[in-house]
Amino acid sequence: MIKNYFKIAWRSLWKEKTFTFLNVFGLSVAFGAAILLSIYSLFELSFNKFHENADNIFQVYHTEYTPKGPEAGIANPVPFASALKEEVPGVEKITRFSSGGVLVSIGENQVHLQSAFVDPEFFAIFTFPVLKGDENPVSGKSEVALTEKVAKTLFGNETALGNSLNIFIDGQEVPFTVTSIIKDLPVESNIEFDIALNFTSQNEHAYGRNVGRWDNSNHEVYMQLVEGISPTQFENSTRDFSNLHYANDISNAKRDGAQPGKEGQYIQQRLLSVKNLNFAEIGNGEITVNRTYPYLILGIAFLILFIASVNFINMNIAKSSQRLREIGMRKTLGAGRAQLFFQFWGESILVFIGAISLGLLLAKLLMEPFQTLFNTRASFENVISFWSIFSFISAVALITFIAGGYPALLLSKLGTLKALKGKINLNGGNRLRNTLIVIQFSIAILLISGTLVLWNQLQFMRNKDLGFNKEQVISFPLNGKKDDFRTMQLLRNELQNKPEIINISASNNILGIGKDHSTTSSIIGFEHQGRVVKTNILMVDYEYPETVDLELINGRSFDASRPSDTLSVIINEAMARELNEKEILSSNIAIDDSLQYTIIGVVKDYNFQSIDKEIEPLTIFLKPKWNLRYGYVKVASQNLNNSFNEVKLAWNKIEPNAEFLGSFLDENINRTLEKERNMTTMITSGSVIAIILSCVGLFAISLLVVSQRRKEIGIRKIVGASVGKITVMLTSDFLKLVGIAFVIATPIAWYFSDEWLKNYPYRMELNIWIFLFAGILAIGFAIFTISFRTIKAAMQNPVKSLRAE
Amino acid sequence: MLKLNHIYKWVKSGGRRIFLLNDLSLNVEQGEFLSIMGPSGSGKSTLLNVIAMLDDFDEGEYYFEDEAIHNLKSKKRTDIFNQNIGFIFQAYHLLDDLTVYENIETPLLYKKVKSSERKALVADILDRFNIVGKKDLFPHQLSGGQQQLVGIARALIIKPKLILADEPTGNLNSKQSDEIMQLFKELNQEGVTIIQASHSESNAAYGSRIINLLDGSVQKS
Repeated sequence: MIKNYFKIAWRSLWKEKTFTFLNVFGLSVAFGAAILLSIYSLFELSFNKFHENADNIFQVYHTEYTPKGPEAGIANPVPFASALKEEVPGVEKITRFSSGGVLVSIGENQVHLQSAFVDPEFFAIFTFPVLKGDENPVSGKSEVALTEKVAKTLFGNETALGNSLNIFIDGQEVPFTVTSIIKDLPVESNIEFDIALNFTSQNEHAYGRNVGRWDNSNHEVYMQLVEGISPTQFENSTRDFSNLHYANDISNAKRDGAQPGKEGQYIQQRLLSVKNLNFAEIGNGEITVNRTYPYLILGIAFLILFIASVNFINMNIAKSSQRLREIGMRKTLGAGRAQLFFQFWGESILVFIGAISLGLLLAKLLMEPFQTLFNTRASFENVISFWSIFSFISAVALITFIAGGYPALLLSKLGTLKALKGKINLNGGNRLRNTLIVIQFSIAILLISGTLVLWNQLQFMRNKDLGFNKEQVISFPLNGKKDDFRTMQLLRNELQNKPEIINISASNNILGIGKDHSTTSSIIGFEHQGRVVKTNILMVDYEYPETVDLELINGRSFDASRPSDTLSVIINEAMARELNEKEILSSNIAIDDSLQYTIIGVVKDYNFQSIDKEIEPLTIFLKPKWNLRYGYVKVASQNLNNSFNEVKLAWNKIEPNAEFLGSFLDENINRTLEKERNMTTMITSGSVIAIILSCVGLFAISLLVVSQRRKEIGIRKIVGASVGKITVMLTSDFLKLVGIAFVIATPIAWYFSDEWLKNYPYRMELNIWIFLFAGILAIGFAIFTISFRTIKAAMQNPVKSLRAE
Repeated sequence: MLKLNHIYKWVKSGGRRIFLLNDLSLNVEQGEFLSIMGPSGSGKSTLLNVIAMLDDFDEGEYYFEDEAIHNLKSKKRTDIFNQNIGFIFQAYHLLDDLTVYENIETPLLYKKVKSSERKALVADILDRFNIVGKKDLFPHQLSGGQQQLVGIARALIIKPKLILADEPTGNLNSKQSDEIMQLFKELNQEGVTIIQASHSESNAAYGSRIINLLDGSVQKS
């Protein structure tokens, strides 16, 4: 019996080659795309779940209630961790964590490694297993732990364990011993490093000078909660701790008129589960967990599958009229309803099995381009687990059951005589078909609008005037062995007299994200006229405002001929508003208790942080001998590539062992938009697939409708209808549906776009043209698809079509 | 064998009943070869469909071998139909996608007959109808007469007690149709009860009894 079913199924699929092809093609593409998208989304959702204690591991952060409202912060002072463990019950283990980069040298070779300075308990909290060596890594000050991969690149086939290496700390090469090799970190980890060191081994600036000080926060803290204590319980029991250690900040906040939180606290410690780390967003003083993005991707995968399944259902129902006779026949031969159901369902299952196999193959083949395109490390291996396979199979089974089962049920339910006479109540079927087509095109239009909005916003941010010159300025990290000041001197010597070099300067922060992928922000608070003022601070070399083209709107820039300028600052407009002085240029600010800085200039606000943030107050100090980690060179606007090579050449001469990681600022800005770019590519590909699949469905339906109306077309032609009129008649039915879809989809698209754009302080204006364009695009595609068949049908000789009846 | 008592069947059109079967009573004995004649629209097909239990009637009683069909649920009716009745159509209604062999085999598959038994039964009937050589052909490769032969073979494979034939020769030329009628006659002599609907006097004459239908009622018997 089963064999017979399959034989029949195979033959009837073969007979309808066009439809079978369209079905299998559509479903395979949909399954392939859905598999890739789901892998991406599952990968994102699986982040940090590999830690054995994941349920009990938390990042400690705090909400500080300031006069400007609540602010969340993850940075903590050096004594914080040990004090928290001692004074508040519930801490099983706790570690400080400071990430960054270190310059490592072995013999003549230098490499830049991503580093993590941690307390020894770090390795007991997180699951980063030790493969070789000391089971408790970095317990001593001069011990380091390397990941397997890095150990191999550093020492080759030699055993890394027990070997020594030098790390530049405070301008000196400090020797360390490799005491542990740890397993390479899983890619689904937010905590990343190549080399782990003891927290106390950090440079003076980060650690030494901060020992015992509660007023300087510069690292993150992670802890494992004692089993049985809830995070809320723990948060509540930290209040006395916060009130004790931050008494000074709290009294300042009270004085400046801050409103405490609903617990009555001015500073509240909070816990963020490590499982939520990948989805953390700071909003209104608390870290909220936002999994929208992976679920959005999963949603798109679902929509694509939905569209393909709708095609399948529509084609099968539409085609059923051709099989009515067979159904009736089989019934008179003794087929039961169940037997017929299984026969038709079996055919669907055959199509689905084929499509899923092809889809899997497609996903496998496209994995690599997919990874590059979306800049992800998601792969089959990363997400394969009992549950993911189980849910995949159940999802497939469910889709097969519904999409294949519904038409089968409809067909098997038909009365014998009705089926034999070939009469079927197609009106009900048409209504369902039309509804499904409308939903399909609504989805397609929704995704197209989404694409257009994302794309426009991306362009908007890319082209926005950020307040500095991003086209002509090259920035590069000063990642060499030499002292930064010395490096800058040598660079100036090397590059002076070159006509294409306009200005050279340095600062201790980057604009955008450079090739070293690191960003920092330093904020300082100080007393000004009886209240606390907070400002971002930036240390710069001479000519910095000129190099990056900041616009001075008041006062002057730093001047090398005035030695007193080292005690002068330039501020931005936001800072000027914050200080609220009548004569801003003659005012002083007392950032350090002993030192007064004079404001000599005000620059126009520029986006020194990422574009999705409002411009905050900024104070620029002239500190040429500071640890200025980034060099900036402004070059002439012609022949940018040449100038870039010039700078690179000079760098390689000065620091032959350190790689030159320079890039133009507009590249840096592009790097900050990676999230938006990824999202745009994702939704663009989703909408391309959605519109293709919808059109495949529409094409198939138009094929069927045309063949059903062949006789009508013939008669109309005989009584004098023109080709154009018939085409319009056949096409307009479908266009109506796309039109309805447009009306439904546009408000939804508008609402979601608007919500999304609210995340950006600098955003494009939504206008109806974007949505109209999306609608016109969809209608255009629809017309193109349908007219293939309708024009051909309309042009046919009526005698022919009538004879066939 | 079967007995119809005062059967009425109607459709409503604009509030009025249009009778398809009007107070129709009929007795068919085991072993009869009954021909039903009458003009188009007289209710021949409807009557056959009612007898085959493919169609409902609105009033009256129907006994099939002492089973009161009018009181049965549709599933039970279908069972009785599947066990006892073979149906032959004017338009053959063979399954286009199946070969001759498979077409004949299909009713056995639905009855869940074992594979070896199935083979034997199909081989027998192919032999008997002299179509062994055509068993791997598809319906469209056969002539009309041959297709109807396959249709009859398929109806006979379940060894039905009753064969219903709705204009079995309507699409055939006279030579083919004579052959089919001859076959019916032979089957009847072997004990199969046959009811056929027909336009043609000559075909009806093969029957052991003829009834004439007009506007849903029996004219004379």
